Amino acid sequence: MRAVGMILAGGNNYRMKELSNRRAIAAMPIAGSFRAVDFALSSMSNSGIQKVAVLTQFNSRSLDQHLNSSKWWDFGRKQGGLFIFPPMLTTDNSYWYRGTADAIHQNLDFLRQCHEPYVVIASGDGIYKLDYGKVLEYHIAKKADITVICKEFPAEEDVTRFGLVQMDEDNRIIQFEEKPMAAVSHTVSCGIYVIRRRLLIELIEQAVYEGRHDFVRDVLIRYKDVKRIYGYVMESYWSNIASVDSYYRTNMDFLKKEVRDFFFREHPDVYSKVDDNPPAKYNPGSNVRNSLVANGCIINGTVENSVIFKKVFVGNNCVIKNSIVLNDVYLGDNTYLENCIVESRGTIRADSRIVGEDGVKIVIESDDRYTMTGI
Amino acid sequence: MIKKEMIAMLLAGGQGSRLGVLTSKVAKPAVAFGGKYRIIDFPLSNCINSGIDTVGVLTQYQPLRLNSHIGIGIPWDLDRNVGGVTVLPPYEKVGKTEWYTGTANAIYQNLTYMESFHPDYVLILSGDHIYKMDYEVMLDYHKAHNADVSIAVMPVPPEEASRFGVVVTDGNGRILEFQEKPDQPKSNLASMGIYIFTWKALKEALLALSEQSGCDFGKHVIPYCHEKGETLVAYEFNGYWKDVGTLGSYWEANMELIDIIPEFNLYEEFWKIYTKNDILPPQFASSDSVIERCLVGDGSEIYGKVYNTIIGCGVVIEEGAVVRDSIIMQNTVIRAGSEINKAIIAENVTVGEHVRMGVGEEVPNREKPSVYSFGLAVVGEDSVIPAGVTIGKNTAISGVTVPEDYPGGRLGSGETLNRPERSGEAGGAL
Repeated sequence: MRAVGMILAGGNNYRMKELSNRRAIAAMPIAGSFRAVDFALSSMSNSGIQKVAVLTQFNSRSLDQHLNSSKWWDFGRKQGGLFIFPPMLTTDNSYWYRGTADAIHQNLDFLRQCHEPYVVIASGDGIYKLDYGKVLEYHIAKKADITVICKEFPAEEDVTRFGLVQMDEDNRIIQFEEKPMAAVSHTVSCGIYVIRRRLLIELIEQAVYEGRHDFVRDVLIRYKDVKRIYGYVMESYWSNIASVDSYYRTNMDFLKKEVRDFFFREHPDVYSKVDDNPPAKYNPGSNVRNSLVANGCIINGTVENSVIFKKVFVGNNCVIKNSIVLNDVYLGDNTYLENCIVESRGTIRADSRIVGEDGVKIVIESDDRYTMTGI
Repeated sequence: MIKKEMIAMLLAGGQGSRLGVLTSKVAKPAVAFGGKYRIIDFPLSNCINSGIDTVGVLTQYQPLRLNSHIGIGIPWDLDRNVGGVTVLPPYEKVGKTEWYTGTANAIYQNLTYMESFHPDYVLILSGDHIYKMDYEVMLDYHKAHNADVSIAVMPVPPEEASRFGVVVTDGNGRILEFQEKPDQPKSNLASMGIYIFTWKALKEALLALSEQSGCDFGKHVIPYCHEKGETLVAYEFNGYWKDVGTLGSYWEANMELIDIIPEFNLYEEFWKIYTKNDILPPQFASSDSVIERCLVGDGSEIYGKVYNTIIGCGVVIEEGAVVRDSIIMQNTVIRAGSEINKAIIAENVTVGEHVRMGVGEEVPNREKPSVYSFGLAVVGEDSVIPAGVTIGKNTAISGVTVPEDYPGGRLGSGETLNRPERSGEAGGAL
């Protein structure tokens, strides 16, 4: 593959509410046993990209822990590898990443030292499978300067939290608006771009020289009439998880057979860091319906239309409905949960009743299991 | 200089013929266990948990699955710059070339491998037991007794002792007598097939016995060391240890994992069992599924009803199928409406629609009554069972079977159905 990968995973937003208090959005657990960034990383690995830099900033430790070894995505090699780049203090720079373009600018040395002619830039919060080889072919065939991966959304969907594009009949982007008040189109930019490495270096240097720090606003939108920027419309599943509702919905999408088959049964696979948990155990009294259960779980109660992540303990007579229970949660006996997202490592005391009445409720409990009492 | 205090040699070349069709295509250590594991995961995990980072795995019988499972040892953190895991098959050499003719002969043929690490001690393990053991504690015991050979032993019921090598001790751990599978056992301390040798003693014994045909630890090396007057000690182990050499004990050991608090607990954080995890998605239980008293591996999809069953990774149980008291290994598909009772179904098997398995009265198996008993129906790897047939108890099936193989649509209790692989089929094409 003639491209190097760059994943912009440093951002945060208020739409994730408390879920991003402790972790980067790219480290959000997805579909029982994955993290959001796995999808971008796996697509790159499966496309033959050998060298990937992940730019982290906000709550980066959660992401660092997940990426502590590059072997799971097959980046543990002599040629290339996986690089984690948080902002760095130097004699010329004392800033955090001031924006996406600035983040790339602070790592221009990495790009300068590469020999690959192209760069694939992706975000860490998209859930998809994409063959970048095909995108690159398209990019070359269109003689594009920049190719933006897009996804058509149904007309009834509110897309104003995305970048929206309009294309001419040749798919050249003629209009690009970032998070507009009113949707001008329903073609959403997925935050994935292909660009020639030398051109990227040039544009980023120019932008930062002018004091501009955002890749979308200050490169894509600013140059859209000067450079040949094309859209590549993705037909397969794509979802962005960067709001509580879309995070909840994306996880629930995996209860659909066609979504599971697309990600898990069709070639190529999605990779993730492996935990050494035993198989899930269903004790007498367990009643699991239309749900995903990850490894290491012990189920004693009822689970319906839910996604249960790794190492969750569901106590006797529990009822879990339409909920997402993240890793390593302990649910005491007789707990009733409906419409909830339970933050990882929480301990829900026995006989609790938590219901998300109007919308999904985020449940954050302290980890009481290892707390000494009486001291 | 490369130097390891203790290295482990893991004997994984045996067929395990008492597991019948389960080992027709794989060596016993590669047989699946407990949903997502293979038997060899237990000694390998014990090694790394005991701080042993150099392990030679001796393979001979059907090594492909073992080779791909072990790889470079990543799942057990045995991918090391120095040491790590090395698969050691028999090899051709100048002079006498032979297969591994016995357990000690296999170790003898790999003297060079062991010597390259300049070990002080060598741990000999076999790849067919389920247990958790800290070999470092055993090494401390070995050192404290200034022993040349330590044998791990455990108390067994007297009536079973004659199946094992039995040791008689002086009460302080020192071994006075060693009996290999005796008719009249003089003690109930059975050898677990786990030995620590001081390197000098092992090398000396192996060289002295190099011409012994079928050289075996229990039959030749231990008696040799004993006669020479070396210090042999017994290290008594009282934890869970299960020999899964027969279909009955294999089935039982799996079923014990389902208990609410199993004696052999896989959920303990401080002694994890590692395995190669290849499928990562979680398992899915459909709206109509029932899963009770089960272990279910990653990536399985359950649409039917399963009770008291161990299910491996990537298994599909279709609508209306009912599975009870069984072991279903990875990537097997049980089609709609089938009814499976007390069966062991190996990997990549397809059971057609409305198959009834494990029904009828118990009749001893006609070909191998000692292997296919316990009322189990056993299906070998890559088998196909056509729709609508009925299969009795104490039966064995392997290969791609067609309706014509089942006269009257049934395979009676006690029957064996073995379809040799035809060319063009999976695994048989060349």
